[in-house]
Amino acid sequence: MEFVIELLSATMRLATPIALAAMGAAVCERSGIVNIAMEGLMLIGAFFAAAVALATGSPWLGLLGGVIFGGLFSLLHAWSTVTLHINHTVSGAIINILAAGLTRFFMVEFYGHPGSSDMVQKTLGDLNCAVPLLSKIPLLGPVLFDQSPTVYFMYFFVLFTSFLLNRTKLGLHIRAAGEHPMALETLGISVKKIRYIGVLYSGLLCGFAGSFLAIEYGRFFTEGMTGGRGFIALAANVSGGWTAVGSFVAAIFFGFIDALQLKLQVMGIFKIPPEFFHMLPYAATVIAVAGLVRRSRPPADSGNDFSIEKEM
Amino acid sequence: MDKLLTGLKVIAGVVGVVFWAASQFWGILLVLLALGIHMVQNFSRMDREDAVKKLKDLGMSAFYPAVGILAAIVLGGLIMALTGYDPINAYKAMFYGGLVKNWHISLLNATPLIFTGLSIAVAFKAGLFNIGAEGQYYVGSMIATWLAIRFSLPLGLYILAIFILAGLAAAAYNIIPTWLKIRTGAHEVVTTMMFAHIATKYSTIFVRNNGGDPAVSKHAYVTDAIQEANELLPLKTIIPGANYRVHMGVLLALVTAIVIWYLLYKTKIGFEIRAVGANKTAARTQGINSGRAIMTAMLIAGFLCGISGTTQVLGLEHKMYENLNAGYGWNGISVALLAGNDPIGVIFAALLWGILDAGGQYMARTTQTPSAVVEIIKGIILFLILAKYLYFWFGHKLFKGRKKAAAGEAA
Repeated sequence: MEFVIELLSATMRLATPIALAAMGAAVCERSGIVNIAMEGLMLIGAFFAAAVALATGSPWLGLLGGVIFGGLFSLLHAWSTVTLHINHTVSGAIINILAAGLTRFFMVEFYGHPGSSDMVQKTLGDLNCAVPLLSKIPLLGPVLFDQSPTVYFMYFFVLFTSFLLNRTKLGLHIRAAGEHPMALETLGISVKKIRYIGVLYSGLLCGFAGSFLAIEYGRFFTEGMTGGRGFIALAANVSGGWTAVGSFVAAIFFGFIDALQLKLQVMGIFKIPPEFFHMLPYAATVIAVAGLVRRSRPPADSGNDFSIEKEM
Repeated sequence: MDKLLTGLKVIAGVVGVVFWAASQFWGILLVLLALGIHMVQNFSRMDREDAVKKLKDLGMSAFYPAVGILAAIVLGGLIMALTGYDPINAYKAMFYGGLVKNWHISLLNATPLIFTGLSIAVAFKAGLFNIGAEGQYYVGSMIATWLAIRFSLPLGLYILAIFILAGLAAAAYNIIPTWLKIRTGAHEVVTTMMFAHIATKYSTIFVRNNGGDPAVSKHAYVTDAIQEANELLPLKTIIPGANYRVHMGVLLALVTAIVIWYLLYKTKIGFEIRAVGANKTAARTQGINSGRAIMTAMLIAGFLCGISGTTQVLGLEHKMYENLNAGYGWNGISVALLAGNDPIGVIFAALLWGILDAGGQYMARTTQTPSAVVEIIKGIILFLILAKYLYFWFGHKLFKGRKKAAAGEAA
């Protein structure tokens, strides 16, 4: 029982960055922009979260810094795909390259050496707090409600994203921008504006996810610390059928695999090199994408360039 | 006269390439001369109108890269100035280091990038983004190292076998992602990326099992050296005066680029690959089996990454390092994008990247400017060259501004 609770609790925690970024992906992709830049956005978020947390000593300000810089950097993706009409995948690849370069440059600038940043003294992970009453529920209580604040934020953003996409006017516009942008434009609503909002939303949430990696899950920023999580979040979104709740479920699956490999490593039942365990989440991602992608349908106009001049 | 020029062109081209590969920087001037003669010959055959039009096209296609690189250098200088470094000195060191002092390092940097750049370009031609080239590079390196540590045969036959086997293994590594793409539509960006992470994780185990075990080995995190008979010959055995580190792989890379160009533009399968990449539906109505074309392109892409790793192991490093973070696969993406997926363009894009890397290291050593500046400059170059619409956008903004001002004055 102890083991199960520990495993599931770690699942929720490890699913958090993937779920947060996958929420961003859901909104961004539904607005019609393919975002493979999420890896880079998370990296930027992680770097600035650690930098601000180190400079101010406050993990909350660090989180804010990570979210803001993730958002700012995502505007570059929005600008290049929406305004400058660059192919979305190409733009995403460039942004990932730029993010790796920028973080390396600032590493040397801020800390005098590449590699890892200094250690953050107080992280969000230290602010673990159990929700009164709810955490007393057997099994589910400690798993869901005895976590660090970021995990609760993640619950909120899953609900918020689902509400935003399905129940609000803006959500309707976002979905229309991805399915049939011309129809939206005919109503006098700027497709460009909606797509900018979609990319910005994903940028803010990727910044959040990056902050989680740097100042909750860990205590410092390391070069390339996202380790493909941006792409796993993309996979979670695809496997989840481009919906908020579906992406959340898929993210939990990936979190579970990650938690499982960590536990198996610690238990040492299998006498094999630890790297085999590290491969597990990547292999699971391939299987999930391959197995589930056929059942879901991408937004009809996702990845296509939109310019009103071309449509007329 | 025409025959004389053709002869001169061929001689200048071949001699230029040879000296250029022999780490004599000025060899490229001869290559440029050959290109110049080629153009003059072509233009003299055309009438005036066609020639002017052709010249304009050429100018336009040279315009974006030139402006992009210049603007990136200016922006990079600005960043350096803002963060308290001396951009003039830094650039002096960078270009001196990359083009003159350490030209052979630029060449060595460019060699694996030519292969990986070609790999990504071929996949792009079929409409696929082989973002996981890094993984295939690792697979090729591992197979090559494993084979080259254990066995050897005289006459270089075995080296050929290593190249083929490592290439095939890396190509095979692409089968599952490509098959999934064709059968289920699983996006290759996600699947090849995951495969790349799996391969890099496995490489640590591989290095430990082949001599890199810190418990038994003096050199932790490095495999044993490969057998001497399996090392690629240094270039100076055929061209005296070449830097001792430069190896035959440089010539192999140049030849491969030409082979890939031929394959893409002069063969049936190349046509099918390009047709599927340009328009899948149209290709299908022409009776082209799109799945087969995609699979072929991805297998070629994997093979190229495999021989990229093999060249690096057999030619330069002679062993494999753990977590070497060489990033030739990732950088190959930039190279292919920069070259507009043109196989011949890949050579020059890879050289530019190689020069920037070698120059950046020299700059970091001599002027204490962080070499990561180079990464930023690379990113800006890519962005400015790919965002062709940027120039129209700026023009539009400027033009609109003027028009508004004019309207204001009139009112």
